Amino acid sequence: MIPELGHVALIIALQIALVQGLAGLVGAARSGSGLKALARGAVVGQLLFVLAGFLALTWSFLVNDFSVMNVAEHSSRHLPIEYRLTASWGSHEGSFLLWTLLMAGWTLAVLVFSRRLPPDLVSRVVGIMGLLSFCFLAYILFTSNPFMRLHPAPANGRDLNPLLQDPGMILHPPLLYMGYVGFSVAFAFAIAALISGRLDQTWARWARPWTLVAWSFLTLGIMVGSWWAYYELGWGGWWFWDPAENASLMPWLAGTALLHSLVVTERRGALKVWTIFLALGAFSLSLMGTFLIRSGVLSSVHAFALDPLRGLFILVFLAIVIGGSLTLFARRASVLRSARERAGGAAEFKPVSRETAILLGNVLLLVALGTVLLGTLYPLVLDAFDLGKVSIGPPYFNTVFVPMMVPVLLLLGVAPRLRWGQSKLSVVLKGVRWEALAALVVAGAVPFAFGAFRWQAALGLGLGAWMVLTTAGSLATRWREAGFLSLSALGMGLAHTGLAIGIVGIGLVSAYQSERTVTMRPGAQATLGDYSFVFRGVTEVPAANYSAMRASLELGRGGKTLGVLQPEKRIYRVSRTTMTEAAIRYGFLGDVYVSLGEPLPGGSWNVQLYLKPFVGWLWAGALAMFCGGFLAALGARRQTEMKT
Amino acid sequence: MNLWLGASVLVLLALTILLVPLWRAKNLSGAGDDHPEGSGLPSPVPTVSSSRRWLTLGLLGSLPAATFALYMYLGAPTILQEQALTQAHAAYDTDAMIKALEAKLRDKPDDAEGWFTLGRAYVVLQRPSDAERAFARAAELAPKEARMLSQQAEAIALRTGSLQGRPMELVMQALDLDYEDEKALELAGLAAYQQQQWAQSLHFWRRLMKKLPKDSEAYEEIGRAVRIAESKAVEASGLGDRARLDSSERPKSPH
Repeated sequence: MIPELGHVALIIALQIALVQGLAGLVGAARSGSGLKALARGAVVGQLLFVLAGFLALTWSFLVNDFSVMNVAEHSSRHLPIEYRLTASWGSHEGSFLLWTLLMAGWTLAVLVFSRRLPPDLVSRVVGIMGLLSFCFLAYILFTSNPFMRLHPAPANGRDLNPLLQDPGMILHPPLLYMGYVGFSVAFAFAIAALISGRLDQTWARWARPWTLVAWSFLTLGIMVGSWWAYYELGWGGWWFWDPAENASLMPWLAGTALLHSLVVTERRGALKVWTIFLALGAFSLSLMGTFLIRSGVLSSVHAFALDPLRGLFILVFLAIVIGGSLTLFARRASVLRSARERAGGAAEFKPVSRETAILLGNVLLLVALGTVLLGTLYPLVLDAFDLGKVSIGPPYFNTVFVPMMVPVLLLLGVAPRLRWGQSKLSVVLKGVRWEALAALVVAGAVPFAFGAFRWQAALGLGLGAWMVLTTAGSLATRWREAGFLSLSALGMGLAHTGLAIGIVGIGLVSAYQSERTVTMRPGAQATLGDYSFVFRGVTEVPAANYSAMRASLELGRGGKTLGVLQPEKRIYRVSRTTMTEAAIRYGFLGDVYVSLGEPLPGGSWNVQLYLKPFVGWLWAGALAMFCGGFLAALGARRQTEMKT
Repeated sequence: MNLWLGASVLVLLALTILLVPLWRAKNLSGAGDDHPEGSGLPSPVPTVSSSRRWLTLGLLGSLPAATFALYMYLGAPTILQEQALTQAHAAYDTDAMIKALEAKLRDKPDDAEGWFTLGRAYVVLQRPSDAERAFARAAELAPKEARMLSQQAEAIALRTGSLQGRPMELVMQALDLDYEDEKALELAGLAAYQQQQWAQSLHFWRRLMKKLPKDSEAYEEIGRAVRIAESKAVEASGLGDRARLDSSERPKSPH
């Protein structure tokens, strides 16, 4: 009964989305307020009915209704209740439902927070988001129905993929989707501007907070995904340049570029066409990422689905959205430019100015994005046309992507020092000479404190020091000049500092991580770095849906015992898969990471020991970026309220 | 029909959410007061309200119809009846069967096979005490039948939660009578496993597997138990590489 009503609710939501889309777009073009009101009502209805569908699915998981195929395939009687709740978005079908739910929520948020925007603009934005929702709901209902039934119902389900039975994986998809879906707001704003031919500084002021919030969520989502990979996959890697990861990195890079170009558009009325292009690009890349992961073209843990019909549907959808928006862009972009010229506000670009620096950074970011796109799609394209299989891995990305990012990070230090309009190069360079010197000293000297000079460490430390010092310097200058720091400036400072912290972490862990595989029998001792590990044997620990072999290792340093690490090897009963659960001692200066290998005859085990210096800085940095993004969004929003 | 009632409520709710703002907007903007362009001009009220009427009629007509049609096409409108039917059948079958058996056994209490069947039915319905009594009666009537004893052992174990003591005595008696009795082999293996006598549990379960049909669920389940017991046995004895657990490579990449 409940699943059937959930299904009906989704069917109604599909129609409401269509009403929202048509009423919103047509209403924006007409003078009456009836259609606009209808579109507003549809936004509320849309959220209610998608929520009803989502809750119906969650309910089916909670009560173990295995007559719902989705539940039978992604849950089991033995699955703990918290994972039964989250399994509702662990499946392909459920994750799209979550996407649609978040989209409905974002649309309502736009409606609530945009009361002071011109009604035509809001109506268009709502309409465009309605049409996007319609496509997603149609996709769900016609190719990925979460309420498909089984009769007779099986006695038990097939259990959730053990990789997904983890708190990190509970949070990762919703956060990532919050980011992806959030970019749809920027996309809808851009399309609305293209249709109306009006794009002024107010437009940028309105679009910016949404983009910042979306970007923040995406940052957090990527961070949680990386952290999950680190502790869950059993060998302490945190980024693999895997296509599924690249799929989320690409919209992030485009979003980062968009954030900064929006600032230029807002302050200088410049880069309008470029901003629109980035807004279209960020969302298109989000859709493409979803296509890559969901269509099953990558055979990876992210791609749970293998169904050509679904792939085709997304591909057509993608072609319509990207092709349609780019066509609109090609036809209408010139209107935007001439509107700007008519207003007489054509901003000139001086070679030494903040806008030029931002544009340069933007271009470099897009080139970096291009390298990731190439490295991700090239093997797929070759494979698709039977031209052979190539695998493009970390060596490519590390040699191509990293050098591209170095100038971006150097620019990051200089740009906030430059003035809008025009600056003198000599003054700016003189202003950062001490920071540059300090960064060089840090890069040259600090690595020796770790025992050996490594270029990754020098690069990470040097760039990190440069970014922190110049950011602090530019904030100090603003404080001196204005007597206060705006939330936007604070957010910028926090985000840039977060990036610096992350870069230091990446540099140090890449340079100084160490690992060792040892065979240990109870009582045996091994050492790695300054640490000693005493193996205390393995015990069997049963749990609800798996049974674990849990090892105990006493961790010591300098003769003192620091604690006990308990890595596990789990065998999940229903799916019969083995999982490695690493034990990690987190620390400010680095993590000690132990994972349990294979049992050997005679009661001894293979044990992998890792030292990961400063790895936690990576996630701390990403967290700071998330907070910075949010702070900047608050600041941008406050400015919007003051100015309108 | 509950489902149709629920669906109708949902459709009504959707129509309310859509139409109320539409008509309230009409009242508001009847004089064009929330529209700067319309404020000075005589607003074209008749056309606006007539288009609104058409819109309303269109939604009133199409939303219920399209919802119904799409649900009939995509959904499983008959699932509820089917489920109810299956449940009713199942309930009717066991209840009726048990009642009939109980009545039959009241008339003819010496039917060992009848008591045995009744005991199995009680086990399914999770009534272990009744099952225990029924199997005890069956064992009394047919003392040379191993399965009566082994089933009785299981019923006692289900009630008390332990195989030790009386259940194991019965299992051993059953195995003395018939060394191939499936239930007895299963329970004997399980008891040995619980006492960490891996080799002994393997002995019973492997013998049991030979008797079970290869594609049955029971065969797979016992097979799984055997594999676990094997690894335990290896662990306990250190037999060497030959019997190691299958080792999976350390993942090079997570995806």
